[in-house]
Amino acid sequence: MRNKILVAVALLSGLYLIRNLYYILLVLPDEAAQGAIYRILYFHLPGWITSFTAYFCAAVASIWYLVKRDQRADEFAVAFTEVGVIFTMLGLATGMVWARIIWGVWWVWDPRLTWAFVCWLTYMGYLMLRGTIDEPGQRARIASVVSLFAFVSVVITYKSIDWWRTQHPGAVLSFRTGEQRIDPAMENMLFHNMVALVAFAGVLMMLRLGQERMQRELDALRRQAHSL
Amino acid sequence: MGQVLTIAWKDLRSELRTKESINAAAAFSMVILVLFSFVLDIAGDSREFAGGLLWLVFAFAGALVLNRSFAREQPNDCLDALVASPLPGWALFLGKAIANFALLAIVEAVALPVFGILFNANWLRFPGWIALTCALATWGMTVIGTMFSALTVNLRLRELMLPVLVYPMLIPVLMAAMKLTTSMLTGEGVTADDWVWVKLLIGFDIIFTSLSLALIDVILVS
Amino acid sequence: MDERNFQYMFYGFAAAWCLLAVYLVTLVGRESKLRKEVDNLKRMIEEREKKG
Repeated sequence: MRNKILVAVALLSGLYLIRNLYYILLVLPDEAAQGAIYRILYFHLPGWITSFTAYFCAAVASIWYLVKRDQRADEFAVAFTEVGVIFTMLGLATGMVWARIIWGVWWVWDPRLTWAFVCWLTYMGYLMLRGTIDEPGQRARIASVVSLFAFVSVVITYKSIDWWRTQHPGAVLSFRTGEQRIDPAMENMLFHNMVALVAFAGVLMMLRLGQERMQRELDALRRQAHSL
Repeated sequence: MGQVLTIAWKDLRSELRTKESINAAAAFSMVILVLFSFVLDIAGDSREFAGGLLWLVFAFAGALVLNRSFAREQPNDCLDALVASPLPGWALFLGKAIANFALLAIVEAVALPVFGILFNANWLRFPGWIALTCALATWGMTVIGTMFSALTVNLRLRELMLPVLVYPMLIPVLMAAMKLTTSMLTGEGVTADDWVWVKLLIGFDIIFTSLSLALIDVILVS
Repeated sequence: MDERNFQYMFYGFAAAWCLLAVYLVTLVGRESKLRKEVDNLKRMIEEREKKG
């Protein structure tokens, strides 16, 4: 049953993404100053929003683990974090391609990009750390603490757009700025793609979660095999 | 508070008796400084680089000191004894953090004049600002380093995981410290633009000190 | 419209999709590997229980 729902959501989000692609590439007009390249925005911004949402869910799962000591919360945490890391890489890659055209360089060390890179590094460290600890209880405990530390950098990356005047463009979404800074059709498309990517991320997360559960089953079976 | 100072004094005394990690950190920072001055062309105006280099040196040397922080409690099960004692976790953490801060300050005090000589940098123009920057940034390094030292003390790959976890978290602190130090060395001092970096350092210190104090008990239970 | 503009736009989209595709393939691969191991172990345990 669970698998059927997963497949259904995967197909739906896939179709949604394809429908969005059609609109992004063929229906929406070019941006006045930037030309065609700006269309990367429709993956760049939703990618980062998806990534931050995943990290937020991982932080919530980590707090849940620390309070309740429920091993399943830890499984959620690692699944969310891994998906978050993938979407962070997506955000960084799309940003770098865009920057190459608009700014002429692949990368600058302005605060926003620096903090975004720090996000990626800290969560990669989290995943590496998990790999070095074999005992599940200790692993969950230590990983939860690291996840909370890492989440601070996510919050700061999100707020950095308000705190620093940097080379990176400022906030555009109307719920953040309180006014209409970009074309409503574009903003509409951004939200569509955000929903599609979050749905897709959800599917990936559920797949990863299933693998954590299988790993737990595997460990139990190994213990059983050893005792025979 | 008394417990915190007891722990701090204990750590400082045991370190100052052997001077193992201070000597290692100071020697290491001298070596890096000399290597850097070979690598960079210092015939020109090296004050542009000096700020950045200084904090790189402190970060690397600091890691040596911070790694030892909880690792020195491992032989003879000292860490278990400390955790089992009536000492609250936050007091243990704060005591060790203060001791580490003092040790790092000693290393920095030794390295700064040497740096000034090798790279022709004048530290005495804005002594107050230099001291403030060093204090804030060093506390940031200390808090993160001590916390992650506690976190990794029982791990198999401690020596590898500590730098991997600590350095990304320290990037913002180091960046702020580098920017401020460069401002001070290239002459203008701390301008209005630089205030955002000072605020970053203060914010970073407050956030991570609170977070560490809140979570240290989770880490220390065995 | 600048030719390089379009080229890089496609690079950007390609990067995004490739990343997602590679991750999906990795996930599916990991899943089948885990499943094989679980089935192997289950079989091994059944055989040992039959013997013993």
